[in-house]
Formats: sequence, structure tokens, C-alpha cells
Amino acid sequence: MSASFERGYNAFKEVLDAPIASFFSSCVHCGLCAEACLFYTETSDPKYTPIHKLEPLRRAWQQEYTVLGRLAKLVGLAKPVTDAELAEWSELVYDSCTLCGRCSMVCPVGNDIAYMVRKMREGMSAAGHAPEGLVTATKRAIQSGSPAGVKWATVEATIKRVQKEFGFEVPVNRENADYLVLMSSWEILNYPEYLGAVGRILNRAGATWTLAQDAYEATNSGIQIGASDLARELVGRIVGAAEQLKVKCVISPECGHAYTAIRWEGPNLMGRPFGFEVKHILEVLDDLRKAGKLKLKGTLDKPLTYHDPCQISRRGGVYEQPRTLLNQLAPQFREMHETGTLNWCCGGGGGVSANERAESLRLTSFKRKKAQIEELGVKTMVTACANCRVVMEEALEHYHMDIEMLGLTELVAEHLDEGKPNE
Amino acid sequence: MAHDAPTIAETLRRQGISRRGFLKFCATTASLMALPPSMVPAIAAALEKARRPSVIWLSFQECTGCTESLTRSHTPSIEGLILEQISLDYHHTLQAASGEAAEAAREAAMRENHGKYLLVVDGSIPLGNAGYSTIAGISNLDMLKETAAGAAAVIAVGSCAAYGGLPAALPNPTGAVPVSAIIKDKPVMNVPGCPPIPVVITGVLAHFLTFAALPELDDRGRPKVFYGESIHDRCYRRPFYDQGKFAETFDDEGARKGWCLFKLGCKGPVTYNACATTKWNQGVSFPIQSGHGCIGCSEPGFWDMGPLYKPLSMPIAPVQMMVGAAAAGGAIAGTAMAMRNRAAKKAAQAAHQKVTVDDLEKAK
Repeated sequence: MSASFERGYNAFKEVLDAPIASFFSSCVHCGLCAEACLFYTETSDPKYTPIHKLEPLRRAWQQEYTVLGRLAKLVGLAKPVTDAELAEWSELVYDSCTLCGRCSMVCPVGNDIAYMVRKMREGMSAAGHAPEGLVTATKRAIQSGSPAGVKWATVEATIKRVQKEFGFEVPVNRENADYLVLMSSWEILNYPEYLGAVGRILNRAGATWTLAQDAYEATNSGIQIGASDLARELVGRIVGAAEQLKVKCVISPECGHAYTAIRWEGPNLMGRPFGFEVKHILEVLDDLRKAGKLKLKGTLDKPLTYHDPCQISRRGGVYEQPRTLLNQLAPQFREMHETGTLNWCCGGGGGVSANERAESLRLTSFKRKKAQIEELGVKTMVTACANCRVVMEEALEHYHMDIEMLGLTELVAEHLDEGKPNE
Repeated sequence: MAHDAPTIAETLRRQGISRRGFLKFCATTASLMALPPSMVPAIAAALEKARRPSVIWLSFQECTGCTESLTRSHTPSIEGLILEQISLDYHHTLQAASGEAAEAAREAAMRENHGKYLLVVDGSIPLGNAGYSTIAGISNLDMLKETAAGAAAVIAVGSCAAYGGLPAALPNPTGAVPVSAIIKDKPVMNVPGCPPIPVVITGVLAHFLTFAALPELDDRGRPKVFYGESIHDRCYRRPFYDQGKFAETFDDEGARKGWCLFKLGCKGPVTYNACATTKWNQGVSFPIQSGHGCIGCSEPGFWDMGPLYKPLSMPIAPVQMMVGAAAAGGAIAGTAMAMRNRAAKKAAQAAHQKVTVDDLEKAK
């Protein structure tokens, strides 16, 4: 088998649901979504208007599921969706959309455009119009366990480094633990300090935790490319491991889309509720703080700001927790002008960072974040998503900006009060 | 007649109106018309010098209510006297002459004051059949055209002349139209109301005498100074509306306490007139103050805008049957479409082939 236009168009018909029908019917063509999209604001090219990115899907809906559209198709008045058109739209659906959902926030009639782009990718990938970079990443994720090709051996190396540096044992495949800790490839490869930080914090809080050999990778390329069958397989690995080890809670790492994948899409893909909780690491940190199990000392006394990862703040609702922590840790914490649920994306979410073809557009779109940082004038930026961090570090280098990036979990671990063991 | 008549000021003084009283009238007029105080002397000077303007008053399809209102209500106020002091050269109801003598008076006034006289019209003009309304054998349409030809300006008094009024109510059996539908080449001012407020006429008259022009009009041809604000915005019961306090019947506690009459069908929110500020009968009262909602008599088409006692927010016609039928039809069509769409989606799901990593690219 292989990808084909017929499979793609059939997927359009499959994903068109009541919400999408009502969204398309409600659109008042006001164009507000354009101004909310960094690919439009930084290029001024109207083709990047978010709702326009859905045009083939909209026509499929009209021609398959509406009376007038069907009539028009019957008498040959409708413009059919073609394979060439989908090829043209590949850039709009994959390169110029990070699924950040800022357009969904400003839509005056409440259309969730990001939801529709996600659904449209189902048809695009089945028709063979997903970008090469994402296809490769998805293949690696399915075949080797991680989109970056990270195998368990690499994880073991990281574990050894952490054990050596911090002097505690990293538990693997431990049953009945409170928390199953996941990582993204970026954390395994670029930021091993994340594992060290989580371990220190959880140990200090007296919580039990574990890694799972069958499920160390939290990200889900299947969702980003828009192939639910593959996304289900990837999320199924985590669900399987968590249920086998009988953990109480799975911690989504500092990765935005991983959180969306496990917390929100996961149960829908599996078609059943999970027997465990899923929390983002920031939620866990804030829970521990509330329970008095996270004692901090000292502060980082320099001007800094927080970059909200879209999937965590806007799409995930975790925007108060990082601020509570930062207000405690950083007296000079300042907000960017547009922040929280109306933040601007780093430009590399939704699979864009894995899509080499989109690189120059991604760097152009970063100008929005660049302007925000320059307006604020800080030299340190904290975030809670390893993908945001990698994308921004790369762009900061490209623009010769001397900005230090920090992960919030690490920052918390650095200020952990380890005076005496908890209870 | 107009050519040898004394000035307005002379006449007024002869009637026993003091100079002080005259100036007070001028000041009131200026403030009513929203003119600056500096205009008062100008008005006084203009009125003092003005000869009695010739006015021809034509009554077509009407009830004479406008005339009753204008000539009686303010007597013997200065406004009333001003009205009396115009040279009303032709007016069915008021003139002594009849028959051919009456028509001769009209023709004489038209000849002598050509291009200078004011034409006041009350009543609508039937276009359905010229014979529906005639005066001295002349159809209303012909008389209007003939008389308007030499007029300086035309004032359409009352809702019939301004918008067609009750004669034009559905199904409009006489084909009644307002003055503005016929006279296109002269300034036409509408003074709607059923009847309109007398002071509006005298104010406009004073304006015309002072500035030799009609005051500024809105998009419906009404003088903005009198029709610029809604009854609702100027109503003394407005605070009750804002607080959500409404009379539910004409004899309940709310009605006794003078609460808002919106729910009893008051059309104040959509009616533009000066009733709430100038009031009637020398400023004694106006309908809402007397406990009855505004019926919107100065608005175009008020006669067809639904029951007088239904709140504005209620539909005009009984809609239950229609809504029921539409809902039932919609439900059936919707169900059919939903079933069809559900089947289409099921078919698409059945046609789904599981996507593997090898299916992400087209066959080479």
C-alpha cells in the first residue's frame, strides 16, 4: 500500500465532524485569524490566513455534507478538490502552522482552527503530502522508539550520567510508583539535566518514580503528521507501560506537544479513559508546592521572562503554575506584552521544527518573538518545552541575539532546599 | 392681504403683546431650535420687520386633526398669534369664503406672492384614482402640483402629508402617497405627528422668516432640532427602564408608581419627536406622562407596525403556526440530511485503510 489522493480524500470525509461543520458554517470571513498568526504577521502574505489553510477541507465538507454543495457537485458547478491542490496546500498546512491555536483564541465565532488543521493533516498525510522531514521522524518514532532515533541505549547512557552527577539511583521499570517520568528526545540528547532535576525534586518530596524501558519517549510524531493510526500506536506504548507498571501518574515532560498527545488526544485515540492521571511536570511541581513538599531557597536575581509553550499554556491551561513558581524564584520576573494564553509561538511547534523544508519560514516567523524579547529588554528567558527551547536557541543564534534559555524544572531544582530529608 | 399688511411686531403689539413678551418668545424660539443666544436679536429683528407671509394651506386626505391641533391648542399664546398673524390666504376649515370665491382667493395669493408664499399641506394624495379626493372639481394631485409650482417651500404637516399616514395603511386602497413623493423640485419639510406639536410649526415658521430658509433636516426630511432624539431617550420614565422596572398592566402597582410602559407597548424607543421635552397643551403633559405608552405616531408606517399594546420586542403577526411548521419541516429535513451524512461518514470509515509508516509517501 501507499499514499494516494483517494485515501486522503476519504480521510477528509472521515474527519469531518459536527464541530468542523459548525465551524465552517459559522465563519464570518472577518480575517481576524490572520492578525493572530505569526506566519501572516511576519510575512504579510494573505495565503497564511489560518482559515484559508483549510480551504480544501472546507470544500470537501461543502461538497460531501451540505445540500447545496452536493447539488453543485452533482451538476458540475463545484470545484473539486484535486491532488495538485493538496500538494500546493502542503506548505500551508505543515510549514506555516504550528498548531499553536492563537487563531482559535481570537476567532469571534469561536472556531477552533487549530483543531481543524490537525484534522486536515489526516487527509494530507494519507494523500502523501506530508513533508519529508516529518515522514522521516514518524518512521523513526514507530521503528526505533523516538523521532530523533534515540534508542534505549542512549537513555541508559543519560541515566548513568545523571546517577554519577547527582548520586541517586534512577529507577527503571519499578512497579506501583507514584510517577512515570517520560522524556522527549531533546531532553535525552540535549538537556539530560532535566532528568536530574526531576529526580532530585521527586526524591526530595518523598515521591516514588520510575522510567519505563518500553516508553521513554513522550513526543508523538503521529499527531504532528496527522496519522491517528500511528499516533495511537505511539501513545499506546505509554499507556501500556503505565498500566503494566501500575503507576498513579504519568508526567509529561517539558514538551508542549507531548502533553497534548498524552493528556488530550491520548484517551480519544485509545477510545477509553486511562487508569492513571496525566500531568505536565509544571502541574506536578505546583501540586508538590501546594502540599508543602517543594521547599525552595534563594532566588535568581536577574531580569527574566517566561515563554509560554502554546500547547501547555493556551491549549493545555497550565499558565498559572509557572508564574507562581517564577514569582517565588525570580524577583525580576517580567511578562512579555502578549503572554499566557495569547502568547506568540516560537515558530517550531506542530512538527515545524522537524520539517527542514520550513526552516527559512520558521526563522522569519521568529521575528515576532524576537521583537517581544527586544521590547522587554531581558537577557534570560525561561520556558517549559524542550522543543521551544531548541527552536529558539537556534533562531537566537541565527539573529545573533545573546539570550540565555533556561528550563523551568531545572531552575526549580537548582533552588531546591535540600537541607534535611523530607519527613 | 400680504402686500399691505402690517409687520408681525405691529400686529402683536396691537393684540396687547408687550415688547418684553415678544422678546421672550424670540428667546424661547431660539433655544427650542438650538440656536445660539446671540441669534435672539436677529430673530426679533427679522420677525419685527417681516410682513405677514402668505401661506396657502391645502388639506387632502386628512381628518382635520392637524388643523385642530395647530390652531387651538396654544391659543391664546404668542405661538398661536403668530399662526394667526400669517396671512392664511386659503384654508378650507378656517376661511370664510366658499365655492368659487375660495378658489379665487387661492389663485390670487399664488399670483401676488409667486415664488414667496409658503405652502402647508396636511393629508396624503391619492394616486389610485384622481376622483378619490377632489376640491372644487380639482384632483388633489393637480392642486398640489399647481400650488407648489410657485411656493418658496412646502411644509408637509402631519403624518399623512409626511409619510402617507392612515390613508396609506395597508392595503392602501386609494394609493395614498406623501407630498415628498410628488414634489421633487422644492424644499419639502416634514413635520410628522398625528397630530404634530404646534410649537414645531411656529418654530419652523420663525426660522423661515429669520433666515429665509428651512432649518436643517434629517434623512426623513424632519427638522433635526425637534426630531433629533427619541421619546425614550428624553422620557422622564427612562430611569425605570434602566432599572428594569416595568408596568405590566395599566392598573398594577408599577403603573401606579409611574414605571416604564415598554411592556405595555410603548413605542418611545423607536419614535423621534419632541413630545417628551416640549409636551402638549402648553407644556402640561404628554401621553406617557398621562399613563399611556407612545404609539409612535410621528414615525413612517406607524399604523402598520403592529398592535399598539404589544411590546416592541414581540413579533407583530401570530407566528406560532409558522414557527411550528418551519421547525417541523426543518427537523425532518435536518434528520434526513443527518442520516444521509452519517451514512456517508460510516462509508468513509469503512473505507479507511490502516495507515502504516509505509503509507506516508506515494508509490514511486
